[in-house]
Amino acid sequence: MSKKKKITTSTGVEVRHKPLGLRIWNNRGYYLMFLPVFVFILVMYYWPMLGIRYAFYDYKPVGAPTFVGLKHFYSMFKTDAFWSAFRNTLELSIMKLLITTFTAVIVSIFLNEMGNLFAKKTLQTIIYLPHFMSWAVVASIFSLFLSPSSTGLVNGLLRDWGILAPDAKGIYFLASTAWWRPIFYLINIWKETGWGTIIFLATLAGINPELYEAADIDGATRMQKMRFVTLPALANTIITVLILNLAKVMNMFESVFVLYNNAVYSVSDVISTYIYRQTFAIALPNYGYSTAVGLFKSLVGCVLVLVCNWASKKTRGRGIV
Amino acid sequence: MKRKVLSVLLASAMVASLAACGSSNDAPAQSAAATDSAAASTEASTEAYNLEEINVVVNGTLTATVDNGQAEFVQQWDDAVSEAIGHPIKMNIQQLDHSGYTDAVGRLFAGGDYPDVMIMSADMFKQYAPTGLLWDMSEAYANAKFQSHLILPEINENLKDEEGHLYGFAPTYGNGCVTYVKQAWLDAVGLKAEDIKTYDDYYNMLLKFHNEDPDGNGVTGDTYGVIAAGFVGNEAPYVNYLPEFWQDSYPAILQDDNGTWYDGFQTDATKAALLRLQQAYKDGAIDPETLTASTKIAREKWFSNDQTGSSGVFTYWAGSWYQTLTDNLIKNGVDEKLVELAPIAEVGAYLNREAPVWVIIDDGDGDNSREQAIFDAFIETMMDGDKVQTLWTYGAEDVHWSTKAESFTINAGTDKEKSYEYEDGQFHLKQSPNDPNSVWKKNALDPALVICSLDNGFNDISSLAAEGNKFFTENCKDAPQSPTSETYTNESGTIYDAKLAAITSVVVDGGDVDAAMQTYVDTVGSIIDQCLAELNQ
Repeated sequence: MSKKKKITTSTGVEVRHKPLGLRIWNNRGYYLMFLPVFVFILVMYYWPMLGIRYAFYDYKPVGAPTFVGLKHFYSMFKTDAFWSAFRNTLELSIMKLLITTFTAVIVSIFLNEMGNLFAKKTLQTIIYLPHFMSWAVVASIFSLFLSPSSTGLVNGLLRDWGILAPDAKGIYFLASTAWWRPIFYLINIWKETGWGTIIFLATLAGINPELYEAADIDGATRMQKMRFVTLPALANTIITVLILNLAKVMNMFESVFVLYNNAVYSVSDVISTYIYRQTFAIALPNYGYSTAVGLFKSLVGCVLVLVCNWASKKTRGRGIV
Repeated sequence: MKRKVLSVLLASAMVASLAACGSSNDAPAQSAAATDSAAASTEASTEAYNLEEINVVVNGTLTATVDNGQAEFVQQWDDAVSEAIGHPIKMNIQQLDHSGYTDAVGRLFAGGDYPDVMIMSADMFKQYAPTGLLWDMSEAYANAKFQSHLILPEINENLKDEEGHLYGFAPTYGNGCVTYVKQAWLDAVGLKAEDIKTYDDYYNMLLKFHNEDPDGNGVTGDTYGVIAAGFVGNEAPYVNYLPEFWQDSYPAILQDDNGTWYDGFQTDATKAALLRLQQAYKDGAIDPETLTASTKIAREKWFSNDQTGSSGVFTYWAGSWYQTLTDNLIKNGVDEKLVELAPIAEVGAYLNREAPVWVIIDDGDGDNSREQAIFDAFIETMMDGDKVQTLWTYGAEDVHWSTKAESFTINAGTDKEKSYEYEDGQFHLKQSPNDPNSVWKKNALDPALVICSLDNGFNDISSLAAEGNKFFTENCKDAPQSPTSETYTNESGTIYDAKLAAITSVVVDGGDVDAAMQTYVDTVGSIIDQCLAELNQ
């Protein structure tokens, strides 16, 4: 028979807990306040999870679901398009994360170094704006700019500058497997860098000015101050941002969905767009299959969160969950 | 104590707000349950089902959209059908985006939101017909009053399956696409439409449109021969937007003369078609944006008032679209005349697609009275040859059409100004509700394609639309039937992706056609084999 574990304080005094029911009764006001939140979480977050079971069913818009065990998982693992989407998800997300974080850090440092407050604020506002544009609008704008036809702005400039011959075919940036990813990263940098600088600028604002004064007294140059004071101060924030965002790498959808097309599936199709097409782009979808792919995506995402939590504990001394 | 009271009040408020949210969300379900229970009692007490409301899902083929007089159309339908069936009925229309219709229907069904009646493309219909979701209307169709003025009985007879079940009703025949050419561009490059008889003639025309400045802006190479919404369509008959390139190839699963199913994509004819497309893409005969263009983008680019980057050729729907495209070219000052190109020798005939159908959702209760009531209220009246058929054909009275004396002018004050004058009692179409500079053309039913005659004498098909329909019917053949098999239903998305990958690798990337075909076979060959085995068993 197992003994109940005793809880003691640091001075060795045994802590005697009152029974749970009594504790709940004593704090019933708080529990009552928590109740709606608890119900909300159950209904809105956990109840929909019951749908996970359909990963093990043939489930179409019509007819009753039929249990098929692991059929969809076998089918998924045998499908090249799934593995291509899986690889693309990791590659695109991680590269995007690294690139946008790096550019946000650089831009933050430049903004921090700007002496003219008006110019700094104006620039900040300008670079924040693209974040508030919807991906659909961004895709329309860049599709026009990058059009391969004679009306495309970028191809026109390339011809004007002599990079493309006047009678040469325009580069189909968004339909080229070589160009699609660089363009995708570029658009992401344009759209998200400004927003990403906020957290770094906040950190930079919190650096003790005495450190810079001490560096000045030691005769440090601007670059040396940036290297030996600013960057080390930012390091913890950079790691935090990277870790927090790493947990979300499987969630990429909208930015890809509005920019990709069938010519570049091999380099652009991600798990979420693959699920979308399997669910909605065919006349009679099998939700069982797309649920199975979605479940796999969630499991990978869950593993990534745990890895990030572990990494966070190692680097920051505390976890993120 | 105060803290406790406050916490209790806060918690109560939150619970109440949650309950309020919940109750508002549940309302339709409760109401539906109530309706069901009421319906059940009605069924028990009377044989005829008393249908008070009908929920319709439709795509962009209903041109009386929300901003184009739909409310008046619905009101007049409610009044006319209530009178016809002898009790009040109300129609609720949910009009989904045309280009994303299949996706949108999938989302509706995923949410458990089934309408009473909806329109389906031939492809969708083939997939849904064997599922049990659709009501077999063969008996209702056979006994329908509209049989007395049916002029094209074979359209729906062909929709019946081997056991004679009819799961969808086609009010019109399918229609198809014909190739249109801008007359001004032909004149600019010194060609005549009647001289375009072979693929070489056609291709030569496309090259001239790319290389000889047909828009006269002084820049060569900034125009293209032809534009389309994709090199291959995602709906049957997949090749209808670029028939001159696909010719005798049909890149889908189809039947040969012996009735054996085979994959038309894995044929030499398809390889040859891909090479033609590859060459045309390379030569600038095809607008490169064909790869990603939707039908709307392709259409608008073609008749845009800025012709830089436009094309001379556009293969699009026959009949009323002939009038619409011409109107847009005139409105934008692009051209005064559009030419229909007779099928080139290698094409032989344009494809008449399988007709879109209206289907009734079977509630699966084993009782047909509700479905029969939907048929009577919706399909039977749609073909009444009189008031309701007029609504579906031309739209709402005094909104889209009228018989009252009136005169109006479109494009007033411009060189495209045109005046119309009608006497009292003369049936005529009015100005479009959302565009007073264009005349309304039709609603959901094309009067030239409809299978039952409109017997009230209302007829206002423009001469161009009539000419377009005549031209198409004289130059068309039926498109191959779409397949139906369990594997095909499950894997059609994967097959389509693989097909597109092969097409783009050859046409856009200039890849080797045999290598692309091998990749296609490696990717979906086993799936295709499984489909064929099921179809040919």
